[in-house]
Amino acid sequence: MSTGDGERALLERKMRKALQVLILQRGRNPGVKGWEMKRYLGKDYKTILQVLSGDLKQLGMEVHEVPGIEGTDDSTRFLLRFRESPTLSEAESAGFRIDDLAVLASSIAMINSRQGRVGRKELETFLREKFPRWRVDYSLERFIKRGYLDQDEKGLLRIGWRTRAEVDEKSLMTLILARGEAAP
Amino acid sequence: MPEKEDKKLEDILRLIELCKSVQSSSVNPFEVDIKEKLMMLKKHLPEWQLIDVMLKDSEALQQLVGIVRLQDQWIKHRASSLYIDPMLLELKIRLLTREDLADSFVKCWHPVAQVDQLTARGLEKAFTYWRDLIPLSERFRDGLGNYAVAPGQLNFDELQALNIFTKEEFETRLNAIHGELVQKAAGGEMDYRRFIGAPTFEETAVRAYLVAFVVTEGRATIRVDPLTEEIFLSSTDGPAGTETKSVAIAIT
Repeated sequence: MSTGDGERALLERKMRKALQVLILQRGRNPGVKGWEMKRYLGKDYKTILQVLSGDLKQLGMEVHEVPGIEGTDDSTRFLLRFRESPTLSEAESAGFRIDDLAVLASSIAMINSRQGRVGRKELETFLREKFPRWRVDYSLERFIKRGYLDQDEKGLLRIGWRTRAEVDEKSLMTLILARGEAAP
Repeated sequence: MPEKEDKKLEDILRLIELCKSVQSSSVNPFEVDIKEKLMMLKKHLPEWQLIDVMLKDSEALQQLVGIVRLQDQWIKHRASSLYIDPMLLELKIRLLTREDLADSFVKCWHPVAQVDQLTARGLEKAFTYWRDLIPLSERFRDGLGNYAVAPGQLNFDELQALNIFTKEEFETRLNAIHGELVQKAAGGEMDYRRFIGAPTFEETAVRAYLVAFVVTEGRATIRVDPLTEEIFLSSTDGPAGTETKSVAIAIT
């Protein structure tokens, strides 16, 4: 076996390992942190993940990076996620009602427009103008539990880790504004 | 503390409250004039004598640091493309239908792919937990008493069957306890718990059971003081009046 073949085999083995650790959930939340990736794949883990992400493109998936609070490479979380967005009917078949998704979209947009935090009561009051009270309470509680929203001890809601991982927030804000312009 | 110092302390307490309220709401953190507040703290600092007041002063300073941190976040957020005027956004959301909002969301949504699996370590942990788990009947025995036997009821026939009472003995004992009540209450009222109290729990329970029969027959009445929740027992001559009700009394 030539040196080139050996390197290729090593890279493929590391990519298989990377896919395995990304798919299998280890902790409470999905994803693997930078320091863990370094332990599994070595110091060139970012290059391996880039190659893997390129290969997964054919399957409609990608490796996504979520920057950690510390802003370091070690605290960055890597996740495997779908490259393409699902359709509304696919989302419904995954257990999300249109009302739930509308509550989540409004909540994320509202939080982002208020410098990243909004009082839960303030948000509830606003949402109840559009959705039934029980739906607002149920949806907010559900999205907090699933990590889409984060509530602190003062009752302030912030964007949760799952939203950071799964939602393109800038596009969401742009789409909401663009649709608003099209509305009569 | 002199009145002048009181006023200064009040300023500090007000500053702490202001900072806390800004931090716990979505109010613009630039509403707090940091420079002015720092000058105020600096001016008062040499005058403080008491350690408690100095601690309040340092708490106020810490709260101001929190506001500065919020101001930093606020500027960063405002500079990002995520910032939209809140009033405009609220108006847009009100105009959109639920379907439009949901559709906007799914267009920007890339769900995470993962597999939830049971690992050998998890299985071992579950086995150890199950193996060491104390049966439900024993689990809360120390804290809450014996859970294995639930409390129930015994009627007079069952008590007869258990040889606790015979019919003759029961009537005799009812008359005896009524006589004792007439004697002890002496036309007035008597504390219920003191009356039924006996050296052993079993005997106390039997006395309470007999008193319940005497009351049911109308030969005695029970009065519960609504304020102190004390229970009083008194002897009566005639049958019970029209307004009767059941009272559950715990015996310990």
